[in-house]
Amino acid sequence: MTAVLEGFDLVKRFGATVALGGVALRVGRGEAVAIMGPSGSGKSTLLHCLAGIMKPDGGEVHLLGQRIDTMRERERSALRRTRFGFVFQFGQLLPELPAEENVALPLMLGGVSRGDAVRRAREWFGPLGLGGMEGRRPGELSGGQAQRVAIARALATRPAVVFADEPTGALDQATGHDTMRLLVEATRGNDASLVVVTHDPQVARWCDRTVEVRDGQVLASAGYGAPLPPGGHGAGGYGDSGDFGDFGDFGDFGDSGVSGVSGADGTATRILPGVNG
Amino acid sequence: MTGLLGLSWRLLRGGGRGGLLGAGLTAVAVAVSTALLLFAVSANLAFQGRAEREAWRNPVAADADAVAVQAVRRDYVRDRGVTVVDVAALKPAAAPPPGLERFPAPGEVWFSPALAELVRELPAGELADRFPEKIGGTVGDEALVHPGELVAVRGQEPGSPVMTVKAAQDPLTGTAPTRVAGFTGEPTGDAQAYQALALIATVLMAVPLLVFGGAAARLTVARRDQRLAALRLVGATPGQVVLMTVAEAVITAAAGAVAGVALYGLLTPLLGGIEIAGGSWFAADLWPGVPYTMAVLVAVPLLVGLSAVVGLRRVVVSPLGVARRETPPAMRVVRVLALLAVLAVVPTLGAGTAAGVVAVVLGLAFLAINLTGPWVVGLIGRITARTARRPARLLAGRRLIDDPRAAWRTVSGVAMTGFVAGFIGLLSPGSGLLGDADATTLRLTVPAAQVSQLTGEARERLSAAGVPARVEVTGKGGDRTLAVTVTEAARVDEAVIDRARTALDGMVPGRGATSEADEELFGVLLLEDVGTGTVVVLTVSFLVAIVSAGITAASSVLDRRQTYALLRLAGTPLEVLNRARRAETLVPLAVMGGGSIVVGMFCAVPFSFSAMNVSGLTVLLACVVLGFAGVAGAGAASAPLLRSVTANPAPRPD
Ligand SMILES: Nc1ncnc2c1ncn2[C@@H]1O[C@H](COP(=O)(O)OP(=O)(O)OP(=O)(O)O)[C@@H](O)[C@H]1O
Ligand SMILES: [Mg+2]
Repeated sequence: MTAVLEGFDLVKRFGATVALGGVALRVGRGEAVAIMGPSGSGKSTLLHCLAGIMKPDGGEVHLLGQRIDTMRERERSALRRTRFGFVFQFGQLLPELPAEENVALPLMLGGVSRGDAVRRAREWFGPLGLGGMEGRRPGELSGGQAQRVAIARALATRPAVVFADEPTGALDQATGHDTMRLLVEATRGNDASLVVVTHDPQVARWCDRTVEVRDGQVLASAGYGAPLPPGGHGAGGYGDSGDFGDFGDFGDFGDSGVSGVSGADGTATRILPGVNG
Repeated sequence: MTGLLGLSWRLLRGGGRGGLLGAGLTAVAVAVSTALLLFAVSANLAFQGRAEREAWRNPVAADADAVAVQAVRRDYVRDRGVTVVDVAALKPAAAPPPGLERFPAPGEVWFSPALAELVRELPAGELADRFPEKIGGTVGDEALVHPGELVAVRGQEPGSPVMTVKAAQDPLTGTAPTRVAGFTGEPTGDAQAYQALALIATVLMAVPLLVFGGAAARLTVARRDQRLAALRLVGATPGQVVLMTVAEAVITAAAGAVAGVALYGLLTPLLGGIEIAGGSWFAADLWPGVPYTMAVLVAVPLLVGLSAVVGLRRVVVSPLGVARRETPPAMRVVRVLALLAVLAVVPTLGAGTAAGVVAVVLGLAFLAINLTGPWVVGLIGRITARTARRPARLLAGRRLIDDPRAAWRTVSGVAMTGFVAGFIGLLSPGSGLLGDADATTLRLTVPAAQVSQLTGEARERLSAAGVPARVEVTGKGGDRTLAVTVTEAARVDEAVIDRARTALDGMVPGRGATSEADEELFGVLLLEDVGTGTVVVLTVSFLVAIVSAGITAASSVLDRRQTYALLRLAGTPLEVLNRARRAETLVPLAVMGGGSIVVGMFCAVPFSFSAMNVSGLTVLLACVVLGFAGVAGAGAASAPLLRSVTANPAPRPD
């Protein structure tokens, strides 16, 4: 599998604390990787180093063969804006912006006109089960709905990798599962890779691979995950719009290798914008 | 109760770096407010003190129980006025005038310290010869308007010409001999006018101060409401939440108020040097005294606590009110109607309206602007958001819609200053009216019957004093005027004029020779005072405005640090966030500042002496430039704060 994102020998220290002690991680195109481990083991630190949020003290991070850990903050910031998507635990949506503008914001930052950005943002609402909530403000959404808006925002720019740090940590288990399933489906459906930090083994099983972190070291890299359960929310059916010709300019990856994940009902589950919206 | 207070105290201390910074900002805001409030209170007390200390020279006539006769005359030396008070005891037990330890005996003169010094400094022929009497003592501060005031008190026989003459009843030249029952007198009209102006200036400064204090209080609440809503969610009663909020706000405000008193104490020497009505201030003038200081020390924390309660109303009413930010209900147009109603009253005012009424109307106009402000800001927000094409303006517009009150708080100070500048800008009289009066011709009113004799005497006295001058007689009727023009072609300086004045002194009892320039002195001083007052009021307003803009900008960064940090992690450039913050201040500032200037000018129309003039325009222009630069600078000052609070890669709400 083509590696989209690769970290080699990552070392990160906070004073005397060694948060990462030489970690390597390889994320394939369209691959969903779960990072698990006890609290304080270095999961968030690993994610931050891979995403260009932190500079590691040692090691290298490559995105599509290009080294990113040595870039200057301004370049890394642009990279995060255009190539990566982020879903955090909560608090990432601007409370005064309606949901659709929250989703449109990264597009507008990338130079898309406001009209186009909002139109493209709206296309995500139906597939994510958010139909009719375009104009609501984050305070008027439930926690799970707000996280789905955050997922839409992370995917709206068609990123190469989506990073999620305990994206369902603030939700109850059932809502958390729904949301996480949508996150995994939606990133897959858009040929994006996913790196997700989670404490929930069930969630980890939906991912292609689980990485176990302990005391700043990667312990094990378990195999491929379990099939996703059927959709339990009112998102309507998922279709396949197929064409993703406008996906970035990261060249040709040939076979995506990710569209074959099946739901329990046997149909390919792909969440794509603008379908059944 | 103590448990709750303990918890509030821990909340206050445990707020982390951001929390302490917020509390610190509140304390700074309260300290500045307190210092300025003390200044406003002291200024009024100081003018009242001046009026009271001057009152004894404005005699009230008494008939039967008169104990003394008092005459007051305005004399001049150089470009300063000298108040000459002649007193004669009618009864041996007559109490002395204020500032004198005993009643001056006939043939004695008492000088104020500044006059005594001047008498010593200047050649005798220019000043000292006007007071040939024996020096009896020094007039005490309690009888002086300001430390540099020139006052002479002379003892006379009740029957002496000075005490029996019928001098003209011209307030500019003095008061004719009056039989008085004592030396209490009554405040002069001028002193009362100054008090009224001080009151108006206070209103102009106090309203922005109150708004500012309120903003400071909400600053505490804004950072706390999240946490308090959480407490409410876990079952704290509304009463407990209120108590904790009040406790926290009051603790912070009390510390700020104490610091404010100290700050004011440090500032008094500086403020005491401001010259009004020709003189600076006694140190005691600007000390408001223990009762007022205590009142301010109690009132400020109370007001801040009250304001905090009002700010928390939403949390208390609904525990979800803050945790779930809902679209705030649109503000009603009633706010605009309030402003229009106040403005409708303005045209009924005029120069004759009592100062109290003017102060009330100005205060109401101020409050109405403050009510209308958030509504207009909301409107601006909707327009900005609708027309925005770039992210920064969209963010700014949405933020204005979301919390127009917060945005208004940032710009209200400058908007209020705009109002003041608009008001004063139109009010200041044209400077061309005064200042070029003739200073070389002294005029002396003489009884017609003695004209020729006095003309001769004047010539003799002048030549004895070595002053080359032409003496002419003008006027008709009972009183004629001797016009003495100093004629030394080469140099006519102040010293020669003062020699002439001294030479002519005492020739006509109760009258001195004055020039047109002398008579204009009061007007010139008044004009200068209006200018000084303008500068003081505007300085205070700007100080408040800029500090408040800086504080609100910083607190809004603190309030939203988690969202800002996450946006930055997701690659949002800081410039976009900063540009949005700038737009969210400067757009309403432009609209509200301009609007307030217009409203202020409108309020000044009934009182304006003349059309808009150059100095008024200059002040206005300076205000606009300073206002924008100040607020923009204050906002920019929190850019490093934004950078630092968003630098943490794992932001957490506190
Ligand atoms: N900014 C920091 N300063 C100092 N130490 C830090 C910092 N960030 C993380 N650490 C330390 O590095 C180690 C790894 O932290 P990290 O946040 O990556 O843990 P985690 O696996 O994400 O834990 P959790 O599951 O609780 O989120 C911990 O020991 C933590 O205390
Ligand atoms: Mg973590």
